[in-house]
Amino acid sequence: MAQDLTGPRPVANSIPEVEGQLGKLWARAAVVRAEAAKAEVALIAAQAEAAARAAASLAAARATSDSGGLHVAARTSVLNLVVLAGDEATAASCAATIEATAGRHASRSLILTATDHDGPSGLEARVEALAETTPNGRTETGAEMIRVTAHGETGLHLASIIVPLLVHDLPVALWWPADPPFGSHRAQRLLPIADRLIVDGSGWSGNGLELLAHLATVARERRLVVVDWALLRQARWREALASVYDLPDLRPHLGAVRRIEVTFAAAEPDDVSGTTNVVRPLYHVAWLASRLDMSVVSPLQRTTDGRHVATLRQSGHEVEVVLAPATSDLSAGSTVRVDIASRLRGAELVGRATATDQRVDVSILDNGHERVRRTYAVPQLNEVDLLGQAVEEGASDPVSVDALATAGRLLGVD
Amino acid sequence: MPTRAPAAPPPARTARELREAAAATHRRSRTDSDVNPLREGLRLERVPDPCAFVLFGATGDLAHRKVIPAIYQLWRTNLLPAEFSLVAVARRPYTNESFAAEVRASVEKYSRVQPIDEGAWAELAKRIVYQQLDFADDAAFDRLSTRLDELDKGCGTAGNRLFYLATQPSQVTEIVRQMGRAGLDHEMRGGGWRRVIVEKPFGRDYDSARLLNHEVNKVFRESQVYRIDHYLGKETVRNLLVFRFGNGIFEPVWNRSYIDHVQITMAESIGVEGRGAFYEETGATRDILQNHLLQLMTLVAMEPPSSFQADALRDQKLAVLRAVCTPTAEEIRREIVRGQYGPGWVAGEPADGYRQEPEVDPESETETYVAGRFTIDDWRWSGVPFYLRAGKRMPKRATEIAIQFKEVPLRLFRDSAGDPAPNVLAMRIQPDEGIMLRFAAKVPGLGLDVRTVNMDFAYDSSFVVDSPDAYETLILDALLGDASLFTRADEVEAAWSIVTPIINSWAEVPAPHFPDYAAGSWGPEGADHLIERDGRRWRRI
Repeated sequence: MAQDLTGPRPVANSIPEVEGQLGKLWARAAVVRAEAAKAEVALIAAQAEAAARAAASLAAARATSDSGGLHVAARTSVLNLVVLAGDEATAASCAATIEATAGRHASRSLILTATDHDGPSGLEARVEALAETTPNGRTETGAEMIRVTAHGETGLHLASIIVPLLVHDLPVALWWPADPPFGSHRAQRLLPIADRLIVDGSGWSGNGLELLAHLATVARERRLVVVDWALLRQARWREALASVYDLPDLRPHLGAVRRIEVTFAAAEPDDVSGTTNVVRPLYHVAWLASRLDMSVVSPLQRTTDGRHVATLRQSGHEVEVVLAPATSDLSAGSTVRVDIASRLRGAELVGRATATDQRVDVSILDNGHERVRRTYAVPQLNEVDLLGQAVEEGASDPVSVDALATAGRLLGVD
Repeated sequence: MPTRAPAAPPPARTARELREAAAATHRRSRTDSDVNPLREGLRLERVPDPCAFVLFGATGDLAHRKVIPAIYQLWRTNLLPAEFSLVAVARRPYTNESFAAEVRASVEKYSRVQPIDEGAWAELAKRIVYQQLDFADDAAFDRLSTRLDELDKGCGTAGNRLFYLATQPSQVTEIVRQMGRAGLDHEMRGGGWRRVIVEKPFGRDYDSARLLNHEVNKVFRESQVYRIDHYLGKETVRNLLVFRFGNGIFEPVWNRSYIDHVQITMAESIGVEGRGAFYEETGATRDILQNHLLQLMTLVAMEPPSSFQADALRDQKLAVLRAVCTPTAEEIRREIVRGQYGPGWVAGEPADGYRQEPEVDPESETETYVAGRFTIDDWRWSGVPFYLRAGKRMPKRATEIAIQFKEVPLRLFRDSAGDPAPNVLAMRIQPDEGIMLRFAAKVPGLGLDVRTVNMDFAYDSSFVVDSPDAYETLILDALLGDASLFTRADEVEAAWSIVTPIINSWAEVPAPHFPDYAAGSWGPEGADHLIERDGRRWRRI
């Protein structure tokens, strides 16, 4: 966990004040760290056998000291992370996630909330500096977090707050933890600032499909790098599924897929009201379709029994797609099972994957008999992992781009 | 009757369209080929085939400290196939279970990720098979062959075998000969590759290296042989290639027009650590200069390869080694320095001299330090000296490549308080892996004082993620059949052709007044004179 070096939180009420606070914070951070280092050295030196280590620490302190204080290094710059939190509870949750990734995350994070649209205009900003000692204890990585609450009309012009606070010449990642208001005036102003959009489609309200269609459109039209945690979460499924088809005799079946069925945990029996978020199940299909050269024949439709169905085509034959609700202990919208049924030269195989919090099981059923079974110990990613991956992805991941585009086509986005 | 020509695809127009068309073609061909299309974009686009990893010398120090912990780490992170067997081969008697229990203790001690993952270990332990074998026993190799065949059937290892020779160097030839006799090298038509990893040293001089290569190549084709120099698997060494060929701004100045000289240092603070007998036979020149230092020099000096295919890369490295001027007797006397440490103090502790170490001759003339000035006769590097040094019992452990650029042509700031030092680009390989660029900056104030500042990139503060151990990288590469980071026979011979005249020359002349540097110092005075004669000095690391 990163150490907060700020002491009492300074509050700023304008952009110049925020900038001023940032400068003061790093100066103070250097002193705080130097004192901490001195205390540690004193403690170590009290143990005779550790005298050499103390000397090394002192040498390191001297080596990194310009004027008696330890230098707190800002990490080699990565990017600006802008969080559009919506409310204070979300802002606090996002701040905690960012803090936990201080060693990995962006050089500067801005967390914005807008409140009381009808009240007087203004902003309130808290500036924090975070530092984390690296594993070898010799250097530190630093990051800044600015939490801005915009009041009144100011909240309608968040872009005007964000732009002056960005570290120049660094990419900007826009993290929209709740439902992104695609098509709104706010989105029109904010999306052009961003190079990368971070969302979590599995947390969207309703079945999530309308927003997913918007996301596919935004990604295509704006050429944004989109990182959807819903897709990142499925990486362990993809690794496991891919692994069984590494076996040379099974690989040809990837060109003869007849049916893809994804069973998901429904919020209610048979998902009668259709409110279970099915973004994750749909992504499984979209990923498979994009990797296996499938085109969309008929887009996804909801049936009366709560399923979603679509038809794909793969090299001359049709592929039936089913997203099927099921009662499960898993949280609503979670994938319960992925089945890939194939038929080749009389052999009918089903590649099947299931998962728990800690592992993924994958098997191949050959005419109903289990032929291969593997278990992968891969825990689910938590929010800290997800944010870490989202900001560390170097560039647009072509597999994600293809998967999102295919998801869009499955939803009727041309 | 007119025939219709098949419809041609519309011509691609823009560069982007061409790229996309090429990518689409590439995708199609991948789907049609034997590549798994679901692997695209995953951590590994290829995974190792089902295989048996046959570890000779499985009870030895290298196996316990490095190789088996690396296998465990690869297994733990799901980078090995489910159809995998670790076949441990050594002379001592063990059962599968007793050997697995013993190596578990080593994994607990040496694995870079602690604590041990019980579930992963349990699965790996099931795949550990112990085979007692005397290297001189023909029948034992036949039994090993039979057992591997049984594993192919029982564990699905499909006839694929990676042999790792973590044994004494003197045993390599015999083991390889036995493997050939037992047919363990034979690859099968329907799949079933055979590869062998050979640990350094690859010979003691040019003739013995050629002989070793000849013996190994009598059994294995060169493409089956993976000569491991673990330095090449280190993250920073691999990053050197990315740094040079993935950035546009450095390559234009990477030549004799801008670079004054290059220093490559590999300093160890430790002594021979109980390996006196081994070191007596080896010395710093054979142990470090012939392989690690010359390999690092090739990576700094090589021309851009046409691709990162193994042979494209190794061809360029070989070209560098062949362009290194082989020193004459006079040049060896003048430009190569050897040294041996005497008693001294290292990190506040008293340290014995080399001749006081166990298993070392009290009159030993083995060098524990070597430094040399080398030149590369090609268009890029002509006239640029490469100063290489390596030693034991130095003040600190540090491996670094430093590129010193030429001074500015006109000293505009000669009246300032400090004359700016020339730019240096230093790549730290260990510890604290990273890259530092030194340049001049104005000191804030009314005057025009100039000061040298460092711009420092530290791996561990930019990527707070554990780097894989070099052995993990290299073993995985060998399992995947990627030989780019392994040394080819002709590279080994070219390196020995540089070093052998030095060793031979020293063998004819008694060592100078050994010991000639104190433990905890930066080497003999002669090394300082070597570089100071050129008006330069060693970097303070």
